[in-house]
Amino acid sequence: MHLRRHLPHYLMIAPFMLLFAIFFLFPILSGFYYSFNDWNAVQPAKFVGLANYQKIIASRDFARSMWNLGTYIVITVPLGILVALGLALLVDNFTGRWAHVFRGAYFLPVVLPSFLAATIWRWIYAPNFGLLNMMLGWFGMPSVNFLNNTGSMIYCLIAVDVWASAGFNMIILLAGLKNIPTELYEAARLDGASKWQQIIHITIPMLGPVLFFVVTYGLISAMQVFDKPWLLTGSSFTTYGGRGNALLFPVMDMMGRGFGAVKFGEAAAYGFLLTLAIVMVTALMFVLRSWSDRR
Amino acid sequence: MTAKRASATSPTIWTVLKWTVAILAAVIAVFPVWWMINVVFSEPGQPVSINPRLWPTSLTAGLQTVHVIFAETAYLHAYMVSVCYSVLTIAGVLLFGSAAAFEFALFDFPGRRIIFGIVMLALMVPTAVTIIPTYLLTADLGWLNSMQGLVVPGLASAFGLFMLVQFMRAIPADMIEAARLDGASHLQIYWHVVLPLCRNAMVTLAILTFMQTWGNYMWPLLVGTSPDMYTVGQIVGMFNSPLSHQTVEVVMTANLLAAVPPLIFYLLFQRKIVEGIAMSGTKG
Repeated sequence: MHLRRHLPHYLMIAPFMLLFAIFFLFPILSGFYYSFNDWNAVQPAKFVGLANYQKIIASRDFARSMWNLGTYIVITVPLGILVALGLALLVDNFTGRWAHVFRGAYFLPVVLPSFLAATIWRWIYAPNFGLLNMMLGWFGMPSVNFLNNTGSMIYCLIAVDVWASAGFNMIILLAGLKNIPTELYEAARLDGASKWQQIIHITIPMLGPVLFFVVTYGLISAMQVFDKPWLLTGSSFTTYGGRGNALLFPVMDMMGRGFGAVKFGEAAAYGFLLTLAIVMVTALMFVLRSWSDRR
Repeated sequence: MTAKRASATSPTIWTVLKWTVAILAAVIAVFPVWWMINVVFSEPGQPVSINPRLWPTSLTAGLQTVHVIFAETAYLHAYMVSVCYSVLTIAGVLLFGSAAAFEFALFDFPGRRIIFGIVMLALMVPTAVTIIPTYLLTADLGWLNSMQGLVVPGLASAFGLFMLVQFMRAIPADMIEAARLDGASHLQIYWHVVLPLCRNAMVTLAILTFMQTWGNYMWPLLVGTSPDMYTVGQIVGMFNSPLSHQTVEVVMTANLLAAVPPLIFYLLFQRKIVEGIAMSGTKG
């Protein structure tokens, strides 16, 4: 019988698929349902249509967190990838033991849990005692409370972010660099191309697909930034975002609405709005890629 | 490569620049971690003008702080919770993931492509959209503040499945056929033929899963709200919260203790970790 022949296959995928259906597919559907309801997990849910979505879009916190997210992404994604590309090219120019040593050093921050990146840097930024302020002190400059200054907070986050994630992208770009045939460089050298011209005309174009992955993945994870700003600002579910909401980001705002204000319907709607934004950005990336491929 | 040969014989401006930048970048990458260690292993309370914490100065002071943290806070208990959480998650991800990957990669059955496609779509769905409903489901199941609440919702790892399928696709069909002709059952082929061939991929996935679970801050924050379910991440968050009023030495010791397991893993398995990440990126 047909089914019987295939039964072993279904049995083997069953545990994974069951868990997947229960803890992944079902939550997406139930979240979609909650997003149209006013619900605090105690009283019965009340259907409110699109009111949750409207409330979020009209709220000041949403505008603030989207503004912060925009600023953050525009700087951190290109900067992080430029640094990672620089590191990859650097490591690629060393051989043997030194390539290994430098690669190992640059990758070290990636190994640490991201909550630790935030908690270590919180102290580097700390007034008086912190490493940065100690260094400012060497030059006779006054102590700055970096994480309490609405102008500098977002740059503090970006620095931590680049520090913590550059090594990850470096590894992926390095793997891409190793796949570029050396003949291309040899030919270019024979034509008298300088090191810089080789990078621009061979390395970058040949890295295209890898760069695309790194940029897209970087955008998707940057849009969901949570641990680092949460811990840098010492946030809790009732007070988050830091001084003047300078480090308020969408996922933080969503978590606050869910677990601080106990409005789960609103939080679920927030999740869908954010997902919509992520899907749009990802789709845009793919459109840009096919457009540049065709050119 | 000619450029490398030339630079090996005569140091040019390019070589000097290369080394300067490489060393500077290495210092920036490593120094925050080094500084954390220095703060832990120094006499508490010394002003930075006397001891700038650029190198460790007092081993006993550091060990004393570690001792105090273990004796007076629930850190050791959180360590246990985090270790259990990680080990169980690794075991589940490897077991369920490899069993499913075995089927998706090596056999054909009705619905295979569609089902696999749906799971792969999950790779693109952000955590943001699932985390709150998944929390509500976990709460409905009565699993808040329990180990199964921490572990089970994270077991169906689409990433793990993807990685193992990629790896298993390289196994020649002849090998499976030969084992079948030798009279091996379906389960025996999985356990005795395919799994041993995937040892490398399994180890890499185990390490990546460890890093991810150990570093997971958001999920334990929601599920483990009572002190006896706190993970290391939460304890570290508490030491660092503005309300904790701990001295920098104590907070940094809490940070360092959380960093030790991943750092050890990194020193032991550097190549595997790096390969795993390179593989997930270039094949994705």
